[in-house]
Amino acid sequence: MTVYVLAEHRRGELMDVTFESISAARRLNDEVVAILLGKDLGDHAEKVAKYADKVLVVEDERIENNTEAYTQVIGELIKKDKPKVFLMGNTSMGMDIAPALAIDLDSPIATDVVGISEEGGRIKVMRSVYNGKVLSDLVLGEAETSVIAIRSGEFSAADLEEKNGEITKVDSPLKEAIENKKFLEFVEPVAGAVDITQADVLISVGRGIKDKDNLPMAEELADAVGGVVSCSRPVVDYDWLPKDRQVGTSGKTVKPKFYLAFGISGAFQHVAGMKGATMIVAINKDIKAPIFSVAQYGIVDDLLKVMPALTEKIKELKS
Amino acid sequence: MDVIVCVKKVPDTAEADVSVGAGGREINKERLTFAINEWDNYAVEEAIRLKEEDEGTVTVVTVGGKDKEDILRRSLAMGADKAIRLDMEDPEDSFVLANVLYTLIKDQKFDLVLFGAQSGDFNSGVTGVMVARMLGISHAAMVNGIEVLDGRTKTSRELEGGLNEIYEIKLPALFTIQTGINEPRYVSISGIRKARKKELKVMTPADVGVTEVKPMLSLEKMYLPPPGKIAEIIGGSPEEAAAKLASLLKEKGAF
Amino acid sequence: MMEVEEGNFDEAYDVYACMQCGKCTGSCAVSLRSDLNIRELMRIAILNENGELEKHEEIWDCTSCGICTVRCPRDLKPAEVIVGMRSSLVEGGTIPITVRDALESVGTNNNPWGRPKSKRAEWLEDLDVKVKNISEGEDAEYLLYIGCTASYDPRIQSVSRAAINVLTKLGVDFGILGEEEPCCGSEPRMMGETGLFEMLVEDNLNLFDEFSISKIITLSPHAYNTFVNDYPECAKRLKEDDAEIPDIELEVKHYTQILEELIDDGRLDGEMMNEFSETVIYHDPCYLGKRNNIFEPPRKILNIIPGARCIEFDRREDRSLCCEGGGGRMWAEGTGTGERNSIIRVNDANRDEATVIAVACPFCLSTLEDARATAGYEETMRVMDIFEILDEVLK
Ligand SMILES: Cc1cc2nc3c(=O)[nH]c(=O)nc-3n(C[C@@H](O)[C@H](O)[C@H](O)COP(=O)(O)OP(=O)(O)OC[C@H]3O[C@@H](n4cnc5c(N)ncnc54)[C@H](O)[C@@H]3O)c2cc1C
Ligand SMILES: Cc1cc2nc3c(=O)[nH]c(=O)nc-3n(C[C@H](O)[C@H](O)[C@H](O)COP(=O)(O)OP(=O)(O)OC[C@H]3O[C@@H](n4cnc5c(N)ncnc54)[C@H](O)[C@@H]3O)c2cc1C
Ligand code: SF4
Ligand code: SF4
Repeated sequence: MTVYVLAEHRRGELMDVTFESISAARRLNDEVVAILLGKDLGDHAEKVAKYADKVLVVEDERIENNTEAYTQVIGELIKKDKPKVFLMGNTSMGMDIAPALAIDLDSPIATDVVGISEEGGRIKVMRSVYNGKVLSDLVLGEAETSVIAIRSGEFSAADLEEKNGEITKVDSPLKEAIENKKFLEFVEPVAGAVDITQADVLISVGRGIKDKDNLPMAEELADAVGGVVSCSRPVVDYDWLPKDRQVGTSGKTVKPKFYLAFGISGAFQHVAGMKGATMIVAINKDIKAPIFSVAQYGIVDDLLKVMPALTEKIKELKS
Repeated sequence: MDVIVCVKKVPDTAEADVSVGAGGREINKERLTFAINEWDNYAVEEAIRLKEEDEGTVTVVTVGGKDKEDILRRSLAMGADKAIRLDMEDPEDSFVLANVLYTLIKDQKFDLVLFGAQSGDFNSGVTGVMVARMLGISHAAMVNGIEVLDGRTKTSRELEGGLNEIYEIKLPALFTIQTGINEPRYVSISGIRKARKKELKVMTPADVGVTEVKPMLSLEKMYLPPPGKIAEIIGGSPEEAAAKLASLLKEKGAF
Repeated sequence: MMEVEEGNFDEAYDVYACMQCGKCTGSCAVSLRSDLNIRELMRIAILNENGELEKHEEIWDCTSCGICTVRCPRDLKPAEVIVGMRSSLVEGGTIPITVRDALESVGTNNNPWGRPKSKRAEWLEDLDVKVKNISEGEDAEYLLYIGCTASYDPRIQSVSRAAINVLTKLGVDFGILGEEEPCCGSEPRMMGETGLFEMLVEDNLNLFDEFSISKIITLSPHAYNTFVNDYPECAKRLKEDDAEIPDIELEVKHYTQILEELIDDGRLDGEMMNEFSETVIYHDPCYLGKRNNIFEPPRKILNIIPGARCIEFDRREDRSLCCEGGGGRMWAEGTGTGERNSIIRVNDANRDEATVIAVACPFCLSTLEDARATAGYEETMRVMDIFEILDEVLK
């Protein structure tokens, strides 16, 4: 039996979630076949083959950057080989592809999966629900192939065994170009002067900052400590900071040495973007906020009081 | 442009204490408050904006018991024209739900169907795309911008890293809406009262001809995560805590 | 309070009587630091130009202090005209996001702070004394109405706890509603959410009736004001519209009035207290003073505290400087630039060498506490609610 894994890539870059998907697939003790679709694939195939048992490559310009073409091609490949499981990241691409595939193949689907196992021939997944406050174990119904989309950052790709699998080119099964859904272009977020991915210290603010008028307070702290202000998504939704300051799955992934989260609850989409930081400090008035379970240090208090006090103390210590 | 929006009522568990009921199949909901799923609120707002720009109708749909009607009334007050509640118990899984919604929607007149990108409670993010597939129309998930052209749309999807990708999509189509696409308006209580005059249709699965399908996922159990590795809490008054943190940051070389 | 349908400010508020004298703007709490010009808004109301209201962001700057209404020589209610204007913005749906979220939270959580209803009574956890919970069937003469801010804001929760300690010590028979306590509706009303306010009045009167509550002590002057001045009129109107409103007469007192009664009855005096060697300056809350002419009770309480040297602001009683905490300003920072009134206030107190600013309102406590920190008086000055002072000095 085999598990198919999608190698996700965009604009010449292979995404980390590809290897995490391989890592997740390994929990099922089967042959792992990676599929790589699109054009100008560079050395992606070789990189993926290092850890996969096999790589299937479909080179076809019509597939590149088109989720509908992806879905159709993956569907055809699956119909031919009937892998037990098709696995990919629960990324934006995954959210567009996986459910469609499940309907096309009559497959059960589990998305945003954080744990995976096999018990008595049935696939069992763990999902985190109700704002991360509850875990649930679900069993997938019997089917030829099951579709699973894993949450990024949950399956470590650090200890993947080297396989140097075989790379096979496959003819494109796509019958015709997709006319109803045409990819036009990528649009970059409007770039500001600040690059939060380059900073060593991030002062990150969340919805708990309450008001745009409280942001100068964060800027002051950032100035004092020589860092940059970043934020969670609501802060961008509210137009309080530009999009390029957003940390998280739909913002930027940052790995600063110090990440100070003020009034950020620690939703996983946010945490996914910052848990690589060396030291995380959470300042939140709710001790039960999930951010405290990723932070090494925490202050349970009103950020509007702690933040200015911290600025003062840092200035004192510097002088 | 005729738009159908599917909406769900979800509990607010962001700050509330959550416990799992006996049997491990459900959380205790007595002390929770409920509201329209955040993503769906953006979807309703987007539908109304599309209507206001052009013309047409907005129909909101929910599947569930009578207690779910308040989110429909609220959507009507926001500017939707029609609401449909399909009266049934919470569906067992997304596949069952998608099947029900598909059966209902296929007989309606529409150019566009909007869903939330995901629900705030179960966050599966699958129902919309499944329905699109069943309807045989194009779809886009995680949509954060819609521009209507003639018989087509220019649709922006949110990708990782703050990047967007733009697709040209032929109508009819189905999009799942990401938060931040717009700024949902406030819905006043008297607005909701006035909207009582608008049509809220209750239908049964038999009315729409829902055929029974088997769920594809079965819940084994729900449980609370083990108390995680908890951060070391720096205590004291805000000033004291700030002083300790400042020294710590200095010690570790932050400045 | 009147409901303003689109385009009838003139009828609802009798605005034609306005002679555009500008006394309102002259007295306005925020006109010095914001674009808010109430005389100008009166003119808009006269001309019925309310289609343009969205452009007037400064409508959200009004603190609803009510001084303009007090000063108007024509006995008009300019402060209510603002409520009417906000109301038409609310009905249109385009309001500041923070106001929107606060109002939505009242609808879902019964408090404007976006906090879960199930955590409304968390402040009780650190308390040693046992409190009666009327919603659990316990009987008490008075309901102590805590209010949203004193229930959820960690700083203000200390006032709630102090109130329990003090009232218990003084033998007042009171109970609370705990988690079942609702929002009083004062802030939603001032933010223009008339329908929500009416709903709260209806629900709350029925709740009070269900638990046979007729005597209420409030911590907040805002709750006091709305129970006393807005509820009866609103209830009457609702009744005319066939709403089911119980026939109850509420006897509502701000807590300083109850304490004054206890002094008059000889149940509270300086003998019962330790020395409080502080220079205390009392800040009149607009909703107690200007709006309800309650000036004496708080002063009387402070004056019996042994050791306390009571001094007064130049701007006091009906000339007191508004702290900018009311009228929904907790959720709308406003367009104002320059020094906040609260900063001016703590600076004045500092100049007068006060060591304690005594307040009797949760919003005043919030704004002045913040200003004290901002202005750098953390070491030299405290901002305390009168209940907190009593809790500290009572033996
Ligand atoms: C044993 C078991 C118990 C469950 N118990 C519950 C439960 O108590 N309550 C519950 O809600 N779910 C329950 N579910 C899950 C299931 O019913 C999901 O609600 C359903 O699959 C939708 O998934 P989702 O909410 O993650 O939606 P997503 O796939 O994340 O899609 C969200 C979008 O779908 C639309 N949508 C979702 N629900 C509805 C609806 N009811 N009407 C109209 N549109 C809708 C909205 O546009 C929404 O934004 C249970 C599942 C199992 C297996
Ligand atoms: C597909 C997808 C992608 C997403 N991408 C991202 C992303 O890239 N980045 C991202 O951040 N989010 C993202 N989200 C949203 C995410 O799910 C959360 O909604 C969001 O991260 C919550 O932001 P927050 O923590 O600032 O706000 P909240 O969850 O509202 O938390 C606010 C916190 O502040 C605390 N607080 C409030 N007041 C104070 C105070 N005075 N002092 C101290 N603490 C206080 C509260 O206790 C609370 O914990 C995404 C969601 C989806 C579905
Ligand atoms: S004080 Fe009264 S009469 Fe004078 S301008 Fe103001 S509202 Fe009009
Ligand atoms: S109520 Fe106060 S703040 Fe509002 S307009 Fe009148 S004087 Fe100005």
